[in-house]
Amino acid sequence: MDLSRRHFLEAGFGVGVAGSLGACASPGAMLGAPGMPDWHLGYKNAPPAGFDPSPMTLAFGAVPADLKGSFYRNGPAQMQYGDQYASHWFDGDGLIHRIAIEDGQAVHQARFAETKKRREEQAAGKFLSPGFGTLGHESYSVEGPDDVNAANTSVLVVNGELLALWEAGSAFAMDAETLETRGAKTWRDDLKGMPFLAHPKVEPDGRVWNLAVGGDRVGIYRIAKTGELEDFGMVNIGRAAYIHDWTMTDRHLIILVQPWVNENLRPPVVAGFEWQPQHGLQMLIVDKDDFTNQRWAQAPARMFFHTGSAWEESDGTIKFDVVLYREPVLGVGGGAAEIRGDWTEPGANENGILTQIVIPTSGDAKLIETGINGEFPQVDPRYRGQRRRLTALCTAPSRLRPGQTALTVHDWESGQSDTFNFGESRMVEEFLFVPKSGGSTEAESWLIGTVLNLKSEVSEVCVFDAARVSDGPVCIWQAAYSWPLGFHGTWA
Amino acid sequence: MTRTSHLIAVLSACIIAAPIASASELTVTVEGIAKQQGSIMLGLFDEATYNGDGAVNGANLTVEGTSVSVTFEGLEPGEYAVRLYHDVNDDGEMNSNPFGMPTEPYAFSNNAQGRFGPAKWEDAKFSVEADGTAHTITMN
Repeated sequence: MDLSRRHFLEAGFGVGVAGSLGACASPGAMLGAPGMPDWHLGYKNAPPAGFDPSPMTLAFGAVPADLKGSFYRNGPAQMQYGDQYASHWFDGDGLIHRIAIEDGQAVHQARFAETKKRREEQAAGKFLSPGFGTLGHESYSVEGPDDVNAANTSVLVVNGELLALWEAGSAFAMDAETLETRGAKTWRDDLKGMPFLAHPKVEPDGRVWNLAVGGDRVGIYRIAKTGELEDFGMVNIGRAAYIHDWTMTDRHLIILVQPWVNENLRPPVVAGFEWQPQHGLQMLIVDKDDFTNQRWAQAPARMFFHTGSAWEESDGTIKFDVVLYREPVLGVGGGAAEIRGDWTEPGANENGILTQIVIPTSGDAKLIETGINGEFPQVDPRYRGQRRRLTALCTAPSRLRPGQTALTVHDWESGQSDTFNFGESRMVEEFLFVPKSGGSTEAESWLIGTVLNLKSEVSEVCVFDAARVSDGPVCIWQAAYSWPLGFHGTWA
Repeated sequence: MTRTSHLIAVLSACIIAAPIASASELTVTVEGIAKQQGSIMLGLFDEATYNGDGAVNGANLTVEGTSVSVTFEGLEPGEYAVRLYHDVNDDGEMNSNPFGMPTEPYAFSNNAQGRFGPAKWEDAKFSVEADGTAHTITMN
């Protein structure tokens, strides 16, 4: 990294950019609350109407000429009504962002997904709906999962349709340009109200696979790139494990059945989980062409939220990357305390370690731990399900605040990692691979993601060259305001 | 899912019982029907039957417009509740998704809504007076 980049990032604003950035300190900025730590900015409410389209300021660097598209993100953005805090970060209403990038310009906009929960709580001015960490109010009617759907976890674009994703209910269709909510997505009449996980997997040719999780029964969606449901089937995973994510190769789905089990899905859901390490981490491997063709693999007990992507070697050995924890955690970037401005540094067992799981054709799976402590692993979309080298993830957990401070690209073949640390003044979120124009290898990608600049109290969009992450950002756009920390995004 | 299955079972059980000899009558109108096809399967319950399998009366109403109506005669004045579903595909069952959630529209008297199960008797009950009563339910 050259000195000018480091100077910019550590000093906040170098002389050369001070003028252009002065305009960013607008009165409308969402400033930190008095008496709260600086990082609490990431857990404050977004404005009820979201954010109208607003150009971001190029604060640093030069925008790659071939970077053109929409960067969508989702995350909880209603954490407080008056003096009432949400009971859990996962239960805040989803705010769907679009950062439209074209001709070197970035325009940010955001809208809340208009769910029943959102409508009724906004009207009442208080939290009512049950949720992952919320008991809910007796007066709030719940006739199905979508009545408590927060639509706050991720986004997917299929055939031009934007979907806001939760995990225990339907996807919510949104207008991809205006972000107006269209309503709960029904893939087929007989599947109305079926859950749609927030981690669908898109094959390089555009076909989408996803799961519907309900206790020990799991539904499998196969969706054409045109958006039509091609197939749906059910499998049984033996116990009601928590499933936030999963993975797949070009031939198989791999459903990770972690020993974190909830046989009684009543709100607050989080209270019903039990850690049952005697089961270990089990993996159900399902043939994409025949869901009844299954086999199980076994690994030591671990908890996880997120995978990277899997592939198969020529002999049938399956390999995939995943961030594993030695015991259940919710404190890593999520929980009740942070919303109130409370945080304690996680213990060693709460570290998420980037790990490769190797499943041989017979016998137990092996865990190959990298020692990299991070979250939000991402891979090149051209290589999903295929043998690949690179994983990008947020690393270097802060010692002072929730979340991570660095972006790392790990190379599984060389065993080397390339890291850029933003320092303690920025909270780093998920970065996505965006293939460079004309490139074909994973390293020929841009990495795009968001960071929360605590010094300037604004949100930023950063772009890196995947081949040279430690050189620092290629460019940084700044908003004139901040928005709350989120979860996952997609590029379209 | 147990409660959901119960909901479906109860809504499906629109068993037509013999009218009780009495002078009162009840007209139930169902409005806001989204799809003009199939049938509204409607069950009338008293407190004793509301959480069971049998209804005190019921009707199977062919849908041709956005509303249907039925009059029950010879009812003993008192408290009743209605459960209904729209059998859109006319297969005689309240269809559900693989996890047991209803995929066909349903409703309760007073437009009552449930909380992890059917609407409660207390929320769905209404009075049938001696000189007759009209009750309207709006489908969501």
